[in-house]
Amino acid sequence: MTSLMERDGYFHVVSATREEEALGIASGAYAAGRNAAVFMQSSGFGNCVNALASLCLPARVPIPMFINLRGEVGEFNIAQVAMGRSTRPILDTLGIQHYTLDTDDRLGLRVSGALKLCYASRQPLALCLTPMLHGGKLA
Amino acid sequence: MHRFSATKRLLDLIGDLPVVSNLGPTTDELWHAGHRDRNFYTYGSMGLCSSIALGVALSTDDKVISLDGDGSLLMNMGAIATISRESPANLIVVVWDNEQWAQTGNQASHTAFGTDLARVAEGCGIEKTATVTDEEELESALMQALEQDGPWFIVAKIREEAESMPVAPNEPELTLHRFRASYGA
Repeated sequence: MTSLMERDGYFHVVSATREEEALGIASGAYAAGRNAAVFMQSSGFGNCVNALASLCLPARVPIPMFINLRGEVGEFNIAQVAMGRSTRPILDTLGIQHYTLDTDDRLGLRVSGALKLCYASRQPLALCLTPMLHGGKLA
Repeated sequence: MHRFSATKRLLDLIGDLPVVSNLGPTTDELWHAGHRDRNFYTYGSMGLCSSIALGVALSTDDKVISLDGDGSLLMNMGAIATISRESPANLIVVVWDNEQWAQTGNQASHTAFGTDLARVAEGCGIEKTATVTDEEELESALMQALEQDGPWFIVAKIREEAESMPVAPNEPELTLHRFRASYGA
């Protein structure tokens, strides 16, 4: 996805060193009138909790987060399991709306609808991608 | 040099340019030094002040000033590398360096033990760096940074004052709304 975006002049892709840094950059872009999404995997979501809780939620920054879920079917790395399985419960605890994408059935409708909801509600929102959607990371 | 007095001096120099302020006293003092729509106060999100400022800088042609702190930046030093990689000509990072985590009880930070954030920035590839110890030096560095392409990284060595300023109104949603409205969003 990032290489597709890098080839498309509509997007400006910024590589952050850490996921919560990406949320900071995206929040700054939104503050100056642009929209920005953040891409990460579930392990990186673990680095994001305070940025969401103390910046994006109280300031109401609508950032769509595309989170690749590890720890799902086909996982080969035990170190990915707990964070992958905790991602959606943590989103629930934070009160962040999330949808799981595990099939390409009406994918465009689901993603565009989620983006519309994100900006209408002025809150961050997560789209969780599973190996059933994209085949997963191979060992 | 004290942060509040230096902040007032900085505001006198920058006109209508946007400022992102680090949580705690930096935000409180920016409010008291001169509340304006283009102040993006942060109230949490430790370490993200300069990352937010980078996002602003990538989205406007205005010069953008980040008022960060040594303790916060030490939590997110990768932000300096990302600033260098993106290299926005319009970003000016000012690090108020009091060599301590003043918010949590004045524990000495790593800059009190030899970590030189200006040299870290240089090591990340940022060429325009300065370390200043009084308001005249700060003003001179800021004038240069406002006139010349950056990114700029200015470490301002400060001393904490005995009395802290009253806490600024804590209103993150309004802060974002005012800032965005100033950009017509």
